Amino acid sequence: MKHFFAVLGALWALHFSAGAVKAETIRVVATLSTFADLVEKIGGEDVEVSFVAPPRFNPHFIEPRPGDVLKVRRADLFVHAGLDLEPWRYPLVDAAGKSELRPGGQRELDLSQGVRLLEVPAQVPTRAAGDIHIYGNPHYWLIPDNVRVMAVAIAEKLSEVDPVHSEAYQGRLRAFLDELDRRVEKWRQDAQGIRGKEAVAYHNDLVYLAEFLGLRVAQYLEPKPGIPPTPRQIQFLEGYIAERGIGAILQASFYPRGSSDSLARKTGAEVVLLCQNVGERPECGDYFALMDYNLSQLTSHFR
Amino acid sequence: MKKSILLAVLCLCCVFPHSVRAGAPPLDMEGLTAQMDELKALVVDLEAMVRSQQARLEDLEQANRALREGSVGPQVVLASPAPERAPVTAPGLSAFNPEIGMLADVTANLSQSRADTEGNDKLSVRELELIIGHDVDPYSRFDSTITFSDFEDVALEEAYITHWGLPLDLKGRLGRIRPKIGKASSVHRDQLDTVDEPLVVQSYLGVEGLYRTAAELSYFLPLPWERVTHEVTAGVMEGGIGEDGTLFGSTRRRPSLYTHLKNFVDFSDLTNLELGFTHLTGSKDADEHFEVNAVGFDATLVHYFTPQNKLKLQSELYLQNRDETDAGLDDNPWGLYALADYRLSPRFGIGGRFDFVEPVDNAVENPRDEDVAWNGYLTFYQSEFARWRAQYQHLEEADGGNDDKVFLQGTVAIGVHKHQLQ
Repeated sequence: MKHFFAVLGALWALHFSAGAVKAETIRVVATLSTFADLVEKIGGEDVEVSFVAPPRFNPHFIEPRPGDVLKVRRADLFVHAGLDLEPWRYPLVDAAGKSELRPGGQRELDLSQGVRLLEVPAQVPTRAAGDIHIYGNPHYWLIPDNVRVMAVAIAEKLSEVDPVHSEAYQGRLRAFLDELDRRVEKWRQDAQGIRGKEAVAYHNDLVYLAEFLGLRVAQYLEPKPGIPPTPRQIQFLEGYIAERGIGAILQASFYPRGSSDSLARKTGAEVVLLCQNVGERPECGDYFALMDYNLSQLTSHFR
Repeated sequence: MKKSILLAVLCLCCVFPHSVRAGAPPLDMEGLTAQMDELKALVVDLEAMVRSQQARLEDLEQANRALREGSVGPQVVLASPAPERAPVTAPGLSAFNPEIGMLADVTANLSQSRADTEGNDKLSVRELELIIGHDVDPYSRFDSTITFSDFEDVALEEAYITHWGLPLDLKGRLGRIRPKIGKASSVHRDQLDTVDEPLVVQSYLGVEGLYRTAAELSYFLPLPWERVTHEVTAGVMEGGIGEDGTLFGSTRRRPSLYTHLKNFVDFSDLTNLELGFTHLTGSKDADEHFEVNAVGFDATLVHYFTPQNKLKLQSELYLQNRDETDAGLDDNPWGLYALADYRLSPRFGIGGRFDFVEPVDNAVENPRDEDVAWNGYLTFYQSEFARWRAQYQHLEEADGGNDDKVFLQGTVAIGVHKHQLQ
């Protein structure tokens, strides 16, 4: 019995010593690496940020691991995309078991609040239309206007959770927005050769980037969202690409290349790999690099 | 007045003869009017565009000013872009309706066995799960699974409250649950990689694994390392065992106890390993002694070759300690399975499973000491919500009989359907 109480006492001590590790910085866990990058840019040295979804994987289909549960459990702030991009975040937060990180809790930040959403269904959605998003297209960070909204929301939330460093957060926010303004100007200039051009894509996750660049993307290798490419769809796209003289097949690097390569061989089009999230490719080290990379991929193709 | 009219006539006389002399074609007044109208419309459109851009610019400048003055809130920026967002339906009180999902498991089973047991040589709706759950309040959530089948009565598979925010960051579950015992028994059938449960789970814990009314607490050990996590789960459950299970007796009055330690190692984003240890203790009859003990070990290695190609290797072993000397049976029956599952592509997966189990009640005169089975399967993922699987099984039973089975399974899910993390 003595041993039992000794073990219990040791566990108790460990528990509270683990809690006491919290120092000057606050712990932020983001679902996606892109959100973690934005938090890091605004939080700077005052935050310790990590993310759940490895950027090399499709953010729709992540299997959170026990280490992720523990990270979320220890987090002072949980940042996510909201909407229905990450269906896995609900069981993750359930497993973490902290009510303040749950939807509506004081320590969670839904970045979709206030951003401009595209493709909001006009009718009640049905699965007959594939794995569609019931609130609108959730890949909203690929247009800088939305990133501006997200950055402001992050700064506000960090200030709320950690008011001591509020001034620093607002300062870094201003610097980030200034840099974003400068970059947007350049990106718009770089995109001159892209405006009005057309491409096909693997999945409907580039609608925001396409709008920003004035690129038309109307057809996808997936016959319906979330449904892998079928021979019939590939056959249709062969005709579509030939008829409209399309030269680019766009896709994120985590989608399988087989169907895109096959279509490229048959039509002479080129597969253009784009980054959807920070860290997805070595060239996409942060949000600015991600947009630079995507622009350079597209401009070099459409030149 | 006369002078004015005279002047106008003289001007016309001067202008008109010049145009005739130049030989220019007569003016197409209708065409000019149409062009003029188009130009006017274009100017109106351009003016509207400029006004819109000007308004947007002013909004952005206002937001920037507010930012620089340090008094910004998200609403300042929210006002600038015109949000296209609108709720699909007005939420109203329906927002508090529980999440409801249904999961159908339709299975065809072709068997050499002459036994008219469930599903043999027929197509059946093996399970239709009605899944209902919702948050109760900020501290708890309720989940339930009611199972219908075309060869069984309606069953309450799960109905439990999850409670978080307990002291020491404990998480509790109370109600009818799948207790945290090993890997295969603690998941729903639709989460299995094969059509049927491994033989050792069927034989010791029940055909569908074990679900009992229980009170369970789980806790992450607060150890400092980042890549390794340890979770302890302990619970007390009603006595008895799952359908056709033989580990404990059927008396529900005497409780059984279980503990599970999960150790998880993240080698990288691509590779992880889970090692688990389970202990169960209970009774084989109606007495109050915990005379039956069992330990279980489980190991699962997952490796992603690419985001679409995943290899999973899994094995579980159960070893019993019981006193069956009087009955002339083995005191330490054991069993295991080993599974390899490979996701070839987004649409296809293949795998195999080996089963070995020593039946608890194996008669001495039986020609073999164990049941052994070899399984191979192919899975076609139609979409995220529908899956088809074909499985072949060769079974060598301890009583000397052999059986070759073919399973064909379709699994579809509608509505909201979410699982706990494993």
